Amino acid sequence: MKLRTRLRRIWRIARWEASPGSTSLDRRTLLAGLFLVVLAGSIVGSGLVFGFGGLSPNQDIYRVGIDADSPYHSVVEGHSALAVRPADPELLESGEIDMLVSPDGNSGTVTLTAEEDADTSEVELEPTSQSRISVIHAQTEKGTAALTTFRVAVERYNDRLMALEANQTAAYPVSVQLQYRSQQSLVDREGVEQPDDADDDADDADADDDDDADADDETDDADEDETTDEDDTDDDRDTGDRIDVDDDREDPAVDDDDGSLVDQLFGDGTASGSPAEISPPFPFSSLLLAFVFLVPMNFIIQAYGGTILNERIKRRGELLLVAPLTRLDIVAGKTLPYLAAAVAAITGISLAIGGGLISILAVLPIALAFLSATFVGAMFARSFKELTFVTVTVSVFLTTYVFVPAIFTNVTPIALISPLTLVVMELQGEAIGIGAYAFSTAPFYLGSSILFLLGVGVYREEDMFTQKPVPLKFLDALDARLRGPKSVAVVSALMIPFVFIAELLAIAVLFVLPIEVSIPIILVTIAAIEEVAKSIHIYAGFESDRFGRSTKMALLLGALSGIGFFVAEKFTAISQVVGLPELALGEATLTPAGVTPTATLALLAAPLALHVVTAAISALGAKRDLRWYLGALLVATLVHAAYNFAVVTIYA
Amino acid sequence: MPESDAEGVRAWLRNKRLTIAKRELRVLGREKTIILALVIQLFVAGFSGFLVVGLVSLYDPASVEGLQIEAAVTGDASDELQVAIDQQDSMTATEYNSSADAFEAFEAGRAQAVFETSIREDRIQVILTAPEGSIETTLVVSEGQQALRALERTERTERAADLSVQPLELPADRGGNPYFDFTYTVLLPLLVFLPVFISGSITVDSITEEVDRGTLELLRVAPISLTEIVDGKALAMIAIAPIQAMAWLALLSLNGVTIANWGWLFGLVTASAVVVVAFAVATALFASDRRAAQLLFSVGVLLLFAAASFLPVNPANTAALLAIDSATTLTYLGVVATVLVAVVIAAGVRLFVGRVDANAL
Repeated sequence: MKLRTRLRRIWRIARWEASPGSTSLDRRTLLAGLFLVVLAGSIVGSGLVFGFGGLSPNQDIYRVGIDADSPYHSVVEGHSALAVRPADPELLESGEIDMLVSPDGNSGTVTLTAEEDADTSEVELEPTSQSRISVIHAQTEKGTAALTTFRVAVERYNDRLMALEANQTAAYPVSVQLQYRSQQSLVDREGVEQPDDADDDADDADADDDDDADADDETDDADEDETTDEDDTDDDRDTGDRIDVDDDREDPAVDDDDGSLVDQLFGDGTASGSPAEISPPFPFSSLLLAFVFLVPMNFIIQAYGGTILNERIKRRGELLLVAPLTRLDIVAGKTLPYLAAAVAAITGISLAIGGGLISILAVLPIALAFLSATFVGAMFARSFKELTFVTVTVSVFLTTYVFVPAIFTNVTPIALISPLTLVVMELQGEAIGIGAYAFSTAPFYLGSSILFLLGVGVYREEDMFTQKPVPLKFLDALDARLRGPKSVAVVSALMIPFVFIAELLAIAVLFVLPIEVSIPIILVTIAAIEEVAKSIHIYAGFESDRFGRSTKMALLLGALSGIGFFVAEKFTAISQVVGLPELALGEATLTPAGVTPTATLALLAAPLALHVVTAAISALGAKRDLRWYLGALLVATLVHAAYNFAVVTIYA
Repeated sequence: MPESDAEGVRAWLRNKRLTIAKRELRVLGREKTIILALVIQLFVAGFSGFLVVGLVSLYDPASVEGLQIEAAVTGDASDELQVAIDQQDSMTATEYNSSADAFEAFEAGRAQAVFETSIREDRIQVILTAPEGSIETTLVVSEGQQALRALERTERTERAADLSVQPLELPADRGGNPYFDFTYTVLLPLLVFLPVFISGSITVDSITEEVDRGTLELLRVAPISLTEIVDGKALAMIAIAPIQAMAWLALLSLNGVTIANWGWLFGLVTASAVVVVAFAVATALFASDRRAAQLLFSVGVLLLFAAASFLPVNPANTAALLAIDSATTLTYLGVVATVLVAVVIAAGVRLFVGRVDANAL
């Protein structure tokens, strides 16, 4: 009964929020929007009419000196990044071109030997064909890059040429099949019989007669090695102009959605054909499609942040505050329409690009993170100007945090720190375990809830309608969560999702560096992150005079904070599910917390002692003032980093 | 005459518009928002750099030290393939007598790739096995592809008599960075035009907020027209965009990225800032409230920017061409055209502001 009344109240606020009167898209704005669309459309139209259709961003960035009658002329002309320039060696010296394809002579046997100049370097072509020409590039980074691009252009040109060739056997003397196989232990995988399987494949390639028999075998383990029937390949070849049909997806479920147009446009992961046709498992198209999910979020949070800050200007929110409603109800009601909009957008996009339920479930926590961060930002911001910055920060940070790791989807388990990786995996037709889902999304779910909790804490008159700098508001929000000393332990525990996110981000950023550099940096970074998380609310509590500034109190709070943090830290064990500790960096991060190795009781107690001691150090500083707090924080970080280093050394 | 010049400058500094502009900048400084903006951009720059390093290390094996791929080759065409593989810098081939031996080596970790070859109907068939889900997967496939393409070229040359058109010869690789242009064509336009967008966004906020809170009326009590107020605000916002952009360019060149045509880039950014800020002023005064204005502005700028990529001189490409030192006369003309457009739009918007009834806001 009580719940029903509450729900009805939330629903009513949500309806107010969504009603046309409060959304400011009146007819005039819509007309202006329409005008902009028409204007943009006419620019695109006139661009197309005059034939400048859609220049790529790297249009004409490398200048190649080449004669109009050179066989390579159409190569250069046909590649967007290359621009045709006169073939004049002087231009190369003066830096006006980056590369020179020398003019070929009358009989097609000219070798242009440029002076062995320090500024230029010459590349000889292999003397395999009847014409010898040479390519000279400027001896700069740009020059060699131009040569690399030129090579790509020549290869593509040859591919087009060969596709038109009548004699396909001579044009495609090599055909390739690509398959993937795990190098690790073969237990707990479907293909335990892999060694035999390998022989099968070899036979298959050896003799035609075996084809029929092997075809059955291959359907059995079709999801293990990405092979296609070879006869099909031959048929396609004969028709010449070959278009990839994505018939080699691993998951039959993905095969079915041929209806999704975009998917057909860039189906990737081609596994057989000529050497030019196979492609590395870089999930480029899936990645692009996953990015589409993030676009509507930016618009939704802009509107959402605006509506929250609107409540705070001219005390407009006071009416709702004095109504017989809890703060949580108000916030829930005001958030609901935007959450609904986000869910609708996610579902629509997922349907359009051929994603499934997992895509929706994976992007939902991202949407929550966008909304919660914007909510807190709007509660802290003093003006719309500040809110704009907060919104931009939120979207830039979250977009990079979820997008960049997803690039490494097939490469390293670190990619799973982003829920977007799950989307990429689903689009590629890979199976996703419940452990991977929990690992990717749990920090987002928890983090969003905690951010909402922090924001609701300051959704009250004394905070909403006052002008305070953002850091002070932040301390206020933390303080609002504190009651007695025991609550310090709870807040420390609640910090864990953010600590986890920050540490994973640090791993993701540093994993490119060589291990000798990245390990020490990561040890110190992690110590700093954890020490701040354990003590910042203690400082907030002292600053608001919630706790007496006595040494005894500081030690008590430090100990409680350390214990709370220690207990919650055990939940990071979830990272074991996806094999993160197998990475050297992951190990360095997680070992000191006592997560990875099975240890004796004494070693189990060591992290607890560490957290209590360092939190107490910071708390002692926090009871004086900001300067003392920062100093104590530094000491605590150093102690913590030294401990981390010792633990990692012992285990190494 | 120098004295009257100095007098002129002093008078200009006391200008009402400049007073407003200075006040705007002071407020920005006090709110520390500009610092936040710089931090955001630094974050973007940092992560993009990380992206470049990541991509290069994945696809350019020369930059990943010690990553040497050991390939197991077996079957009828082993010799030909081995020659092709040995041309690759980061791949070495070992011949095995049977597929079973090759896979044994693969599973024991002695080889990261297995090439099973056979000759059928005068064609070489290769089954390439790459490790699944490891950091080497992409590298193995892309290097294997290089080797196979080399093999394909050799084989084509041998069959040249049967071909009606000869494929073009491929120059040897000099280890150029295939992602060299990424910095210029993606990162640099992003860093150069992000400040412009942010400036416009602040302009919208600054004006609508004054309207919303009623503080514009206070300002209007002072002997100053709406046009002058808007001028001042716009001036401040236009000024900070090229400063930030130039700071990024300086940072990039400190990192070893050579950047040409600084003056032209400065002109391009300033002109773009004028266009975007003028557009922001127009939306802020036109739309009914802040949310509508902000939405209209961001959607509008994105739309116009996307549409501009269909013009013969689009802003992102122009910035890239200028910075990478591949600019043509058309590029320079494009910058000049942008400046002209900026002047026209700024004049048009000022006319519009002059006709807005400030009391009706």
